[in-house]
Amino acid sequence: MALIPIQMPQLGESIAEAVIVEINIEIGQQVTADQEVFQVETNKAIMGVTIPVEGIINKIEVIRDESYLVGATLGWLEISEENAKQLGVSESSSTQTHVSAVDKQSPPSPSDPSAPGLKSDSARETSESQGPLTVQPTIEGLPVPATATGATYLSPRMKARMEELGLHAADLSGIAGSGGAGRVTIDDFERFISEIDQKHRTDASPMRIAVADSMRRSWTRPLATVGSPVQLDILLEHRKTRQPKPGPTLYIIRALAIALAENTAVAGRLVGKQIVHPDAIDIGFAVEVDDGVLVPVIRDVDKKPLADIVDEYSILVEQARQRRLPPDNSQRGPGIATVTNFGVFGIVWATPIPLPEQNLVLGLGRGIKWPVWDEDQEKFIPATEAVMTLSFDHRILDGGAAGRLLGRISELLQKPDSL
Amino acid sequence: MSITYLEAIQAAQDRALAENEFVYIYGQDVGSFGGAFKATKNLAAKYPGRVIDAPISEDAMVGSAIGATAEGMRPILEMQFADFSTIAINQICNQAATQFWRTGIPCPITVRLPSGGTEGGGPFHSQSMEAIYAQYPGLIVLTPATVEDAYSMLLEAVTIDDPVVFCEHKYLYYHLKADQLPDKNLPVGKARIARTGKHATVVTYSAMVHEALRAADTLEEEGWEIEIVDLRSIKPIDTDTVLASVARTGRLLCVSEAFPWGGVNAEVISRVTSEGFHLLDAPPKRLNAKDTPIPFHPNLWKAHRPASQSIASSLRDLLRY
Amino acid sequence: MAEAKIKGSKNKYCDSESRYRAAFRYMLLARVFEERTANLYRAGKIVGGVFMGKGQEAFSVGLALALDKNRGDVYGPLIRDQAGRLAFGEALLDAARTYLGSIEGPMKAREGNVHRGNIPMGIIPMISHLGSHISVVSGRLIGKRFCGQKDAIGGVCIGDGGTSTGAFHEALNQAAVEKLPLVVAVANNQFAYSTPTDRQFACDDLVDRAIGYGVEGHSIDGTDLSLCLDTFQKAATRAREGYGPQLVIGHLLRLCGHGEHDDASYISEKHKQGVFGRDCVDVAQQYLISSGWSNLAEIEQWTAEIQKEVEKATSCAQRESGPDPFQETWQALATTRLAEGNSTA
Repeated sequence: MALIPIQMPQLGESIAEAVIVEINIEIGQQVTADQEVFQVETNKAIMGVTIPVEGIINKIEVIRDESYLVGATLGWLEISEENAKQLGVSESSSTQTHVSAVDKQSPPSPSDPSAPGLKSDSARETSESQGPLTVQPTIEGLPVPATATGATYLSPRMKARMEELGLHAADLSGIAGSGGAGRVTIDDFERFISEIDQKHRTDASPMRIAVADSMRRSWTRPLATVGSPVQLDILLEHRKTRQPKPGPTLYIIRALAIALAENTAVAGRLVGKQIVHPDAIDIGFAVEVDDGVLVPVIRDVDKKPLADIVDEYSILVEQARQRRLPPDNSQRGPGIATVTNFGVFGIVWATPIPLPEQNLVLGLGRGIKWPVWDEDQEKFIPATEAVMTLSFDHRILDGGAAGRLLGRISELLQKPDSL
Repeated sequence: MSITYLEAIQAAQDRALAENEFVYIYGQDVGSFGGAFKATKNLAAKYPGRVIDAPISEDAMVGSAIGATAEGMRPILEMQFADFSTIAINQICNQAATQFWRTGIPCPITVRLPSGGTEGGGPFHSQSMEAIYAQYPGLIVLTPATVEDAYSMLLEAVTIDDPVVFCEHKYLYYHLKADQLPDKNLPVGKARIARTGKHATVVTYSAMVHEALRAADTLEEEGWEIEIVDLRSIKPIDTDTVLASVARTGRLLCVSEAFPWGGVNAEVISRVTSEGFHLLDAPPKRLNAKDTPIPFHPNLWKAHRPASQSIASSLRDLLRY
Repeated sequence: MAEAKIKGSKNKYCDSESRYRAAFRYMLLARVFEERTANLYRAGKIVGGVFMGKGQEAFSVGLALALDKNRGDVYGPLIRDQAGRLAFGEALLDAARTYLGSIEGPMKAREGNVHRGNIPMGIIPMISHLGSHISVVSGRLIGKRFCGQKDAIGGVCIGDGGTSTGAFHEALNQAAVEKLPLVVAVANNQFAYSTPTDRQFACDDLVDRAIGYGVEGHSIDGTDLSLCLDTFQKAATRAREGYGPQLVIGHLLRLCGHGEHDDASYISEKHKQGVFGRDCVDVAQQYLISSGWSNLAEIEQWTAEIQKEVEKATSCAQRESGPDPFQETWQALATTRLAEGNSTA
């Protein structure tokens, strides 16, 4: 008979520990291969822990509702010598087995770039899952960081080299890494750089670089976009009655401000475990300029009726186009949300990216006049309809809340007098 | 003509005795017997009264050598085995190593330590003591890996005005041969690139240089080019050469026959990570002997110390990262 | 060689009287200086510790006066040999500077209190590991033998506790094997810090060890200056004439703590009243007066001079600056090119 440990499995990237929620076995119980012996809960899911081979439960090392590190021994399984041999484990030499398993495999050879480190992954994972076994957190509640490897890991040398060249992680997306778990090694990187060197290159404008930097920072979040149609006829009619005529964008800005003032949390930002609420309903709007986009801000839009901001809006658009926005316009930051009217480019649908400091960007597509079925009149009538999109940080909003926000804006737009 | 590592040590002492009348050799059985390993063969007859048998008193051997330097002498001490130098550790580390700092008067002694493991050596005739001595301020610690270095570095050691701990490797005594002794060589304090490469750097010294070279041969067949830095001198460590190599390769493996806790490997890795963090494309690795006393039986001994296979395996791990 | 012989025969102290008077004056100087350092220690002017030779001055000075630094003799004092150091030729100012941490001192304030020496003069700078300086003195004699300087001898000091170390054994055996002209003075002051001799060794008298090492042994009352002077003179002569190492045991009592931080409460009244409990300075003073070699007035005059001398040395050392960490080289090697930087990384 041989004893083998039942171990807390790797439950997903960056998960370091899990809580035992169910113990399905008793000491002395006969168990079969792949039988679920524990249920564990991470902050993502409840999962079953199975055993690799039939045997008898010899010992249970865990208590229900306690948390254990990945790799921790949850219990011991008594298995037959024969099975032990087959598994290549014995109680005294389980680590040796792992070493020899590693030894047998060679890393991918540089002359064989088609095999970038994947072959050895199983061996690597074995060695990594051994790691946390010996490391116990000294302070209860402190997270144990997951081992820093994998495709996204940048070595100190990579970081230094990228800083030297002014590159960002996003610039590496075109490189297939040959390191462990697909990591981009310095050799991969230098090869990429030397390939780039041979191509035709021009300098990006400072505006382009600023936009790129902003978008890259924003893209570190899980962004999502939803859209819904909005009828613009009432709005367009209303617009005609006004002098000067407010643009459709301005209606949207005002509707968004009112909707947000009713529930500021949706425009909040998630920092750690807290939502940081906006302290004023300042709304930005995108203005296309040469080789980029500028976002002037109208402050406290919730407190200003539409008529009061028509002039301010026109001046800001003009200043932005001339790149002469007064510095105090961005004094209070870029606002809490941005409105972008991509319909002016003929686009009907887009997934704009919110500014890194914001949770929301509201987009308006091109209005199209087409038949819309009218339930009351029981016939198609012509209507001008556009798609309104909302891009948001999915950590803060879900599809439902985003849809409700769009719905409320749509509702407000049907009563332009109240704006 | 071919000359062994051991013969080079004998020849260096012969030359030191011939060229400097203040040099004398003191150690157990070094006189007419010529030393337990014959490192002083024929020297007692050639230099009467200057190659002296010592009682089994390592402490007094070193203490008296320290005193003799105050009279202008340049003693070479032979510890029969490096392991036994622990008896003299007080004299070496507290007396010899502190003297210049305390008094401004240099203490030029050379302590030869027949170091490292051989088959069947066991726990008390196999140790590598270099890291222990390197830890103490005021000592120079040398670890020659080649016949040429054994010769030139021992000759230089005798001329150095500070206490030198000369760790010569017993396994290399007979195994290593050269065609001739060098006229010129790198000075003490400079590391040597024993093999050039571009995928990973192995920093090592003494007998492990040869194991690493064999491992590099194996990996070459797999398409990897491994650079090997032979430190030659443990203290001072030539950090510049190490960093330059890591700058070329981005990956570092340190190999030492000594026990794993602390030591030369830890020192090299510490220096590279703090001074050359930006050069590293993978976490530096180290390979040492196991953390047990050194076993007697050859089967165990071969598994206890790093060897070409385990170095190759560590390198594969490193290259896979 | 001929010159050395003349030098040797022309002793500074050509008769017992001048020798005794000189010895007494060194004892007095050491006593007054040590009391001054103890006061400076209690005043917070000296850090680290003060270790006194109170009660051991006669034995200490006995060995040192049997040595002649001008002849190349070597001296290895230990912590209770202020009197011997002065008699051998160490400047009082060196002692004061080392105790008070002056940068002008021989150890440049890198070392303190009794851890001082003067290698060119022949004084071994002791380290704290007892017995390890004996083989260093032997080594100097071996070096002198290599250099053809056969006339010089070495004198080295140790206590009863120090004889228990391996270093003591190795060194004495080595000196015997090499037949070195070495006088080993063992001040058996009854206590090694607080440990009494019955917990230190089991032989009746440490001199019994002499026969085991194959060296000549002497065992004397270490509180009697005449006896100390004569015995060391004899032992030094025997060593110089080629009879090998001389082991001289002096029986006495430490009349103070191990250091000034120690009140020595473990030393019993019985010890203090015992035969070795008398103060060698008092004994010597009485002898000087009773023999007519001096008188109270002269001794008072000496004391006054000595107090001035001590005051001058200690105030000078106090006025001098201490070490500046920014001026310190922080280099432990003589070979500068091989010194590593002091990495703070």
